[in-house]
Amino acid sequence: MFEARSYRIVTGGLAGLGLAFLVFPVLVTITVSFEASNFISFPPTGLSTRWYFQIGSITRIAEATLNSIQVALVSAVLATSLGGLAAMALVRSRIPLGGAVAAVLASPVSLPMVAIGMALIQFFIAIGIAFSWWSLVIGHVVLVIAYPLRTITSALLLAEPSQEQAARSLGAAPFTVFRTVTLAQIAPGVVSGFLFAFLISFDNYPISLFLVRGTLTTMPIELFNHINQNLDPIPAAFSTIYIVVLSGLIALAEKRYRIISLAIPR
Amino acid sequence: MAAAQPAGLAIPEAVALSTRRRWNASGVALLIVPALVFVAVFYIYPLVNLLDASLRDPNAAGVSLGQYVSVLNSRRVIATLERTLRLSVLSTVITLLLSYPIALYLIGAGRRIRTAILIVTFVSLAASLIVRNYGWLVVLSDAGPINQLLVALGIFAAPVRMVYSEGAVLVAIVHYAMPFMILPIYGSLVRLQPSTWEAAQVLGASPWATLWTVVIPQTMPGVYGGVTLCFAIATSAYVTPLMLGAPSTAFISQIAADELLIQLNFPRGSAIIVILTACTFAILAVYTLAVRRIGRAHV
Repeated sequence: MFEARSYRIVTGGLAGLGLAFLVFPVLVTITVSFEASNFISFPPTGLSTRWYFQIGSITRIAEATLNSIQVALVSAVLATSLGGLAAMALVRSRIPLGGAVAAVLASPVSLPMVAIGMALIQFFIAIGIAFSWWSLVIGHVVLVIAYPLRTITSALLLAEPSQEQAARSLGAAPFTVFRTVTLAQIAPGVVSGFLFAFLISFDNYPISLFLVRGTLTTMPIELFNHINQNLDPIPAAFSTIYIVVLSGLIALAEKRYRIISLAIPR
Repeated sequence: MAAAQPAGLAIPEAVALSTRRRWNASGVALLIVPALVFVAVFYIYPLVNLLDASLRDPNAAGVSLGQYVSVLNSRRVIATLERTLRLSVLSTVITLLLSYPIALYLIGAGRRIRTAILIVTFVSLAASLIVRNYGWLVVLSDAGPINQLLVALGIFAAPVRMVYSEGAVLVAIVHYAMPFMILPIYGSLVRLQPSTWEAAQVLGASPWATLWTVVIPQTMPGVYGGVTLCFAIATSAYVTPLMLGAPSTAFISQIAADELLIQLNFPRGSAIIVILTACTFAILAVYTLAVRRIGRAHV
């Protein structure tokens, strides 16, 4: 099927077109980040790296980025723990209505995020914890719990139970078996679930929008505000750093844990 | 004891093991509890509250459909709903057409190219939506590369305003949804056994006939998964129309959010977002039924 020349030219051409569409805005963003003047233009009127040194001077973006990293780290740890334990229960034991439970845990992803944000802020106002740091984290955990649940479930389904039985029959305590055998087997699922939870929390706008106020703020909110109010190339420089760091992280995680094959739906 | 009396151990040991296993099994089942409690308190309960608020009318006691009647009588809401659903269908179709060839190319590509493309797809998936929309703002801006090119080629005399329009929103939504379409289709292509299309080839089918009659029908589960995901993503879009659109190209999520954030009218905002969710699920249900019918026809 792949040998016929006309087939290869046509599919290759169409795929190239789609991929060009996918990377084009990224390449343009990287290019304009080296703009020398105060305004974005394409091609850049002159080359400079000065905007990279100015990111830190926009205190709101810098502080919001630090806060977003903290929120994303704590959310990802909580979501991976809750989602991982739930995956263990769903794969390793027969839970009544297990399928329905799994569907409910995975459902926040398919609801409009604005619905989750609106529902949560009303709830947080009612119980008196609105606009607190932890309420923001809770909102993010609700959204991201589905990702570690899915990746750890697939890792558990791929794991070899006989190795656990071997460890158990050699006298290992249940927790030792879990720590030394199970965890080692599902490591790729844990890593990719954690990574996705972190990235999706770090990037969330529609839920955070309802949960933040005043000095409690996040990177996407401040980046959005800056883009709305300024025409300088700082967002382009910020985006370039973001994409470079992200590509490095994903390439590393793929090399070490083969996360991509785990995340591809089956 | 096991070491001292190896001969007499079989039965008690087996009983002990099975008891422990049973205890372990129920113990493992309990691991669901933290996630379940968390989701019940911070997700299900707030959503039930939202649904309940949408069924309250300030002018009437008890349950009332007043909010829904008033929302559905608003021409602005109906026009926004129509725009949201129309652009969502359109973006899903375009996303499918752009993504399928990429997935197809992936299974025929060498390992290095395949990994590179998959990493690009993953980076797109995980790259901040704000960052990606910003990229389109730059690309489509008056001084951006597309306008520069069109002016340089003499197609336009002066740059044309492309941002803050339905078209700009559509392009950015397709860009956002593409990875969610590529991955499930690629997943279903990977599972195909090469022997299925080899058989068709041996029997004399052309590559195009093989693709159309053998490969594409067998990847329908992946297409179904991708279409469902992309459509849900598009209907609930919020940031993209906010950044690349104008007030006149708003999506439903935007007017629902504004009801709460600007008008402080939680019941009305709730009713609007419930209507959006119901429409999305209804359309996906119809689509699922249609796919099952056609799927059966293929078998």
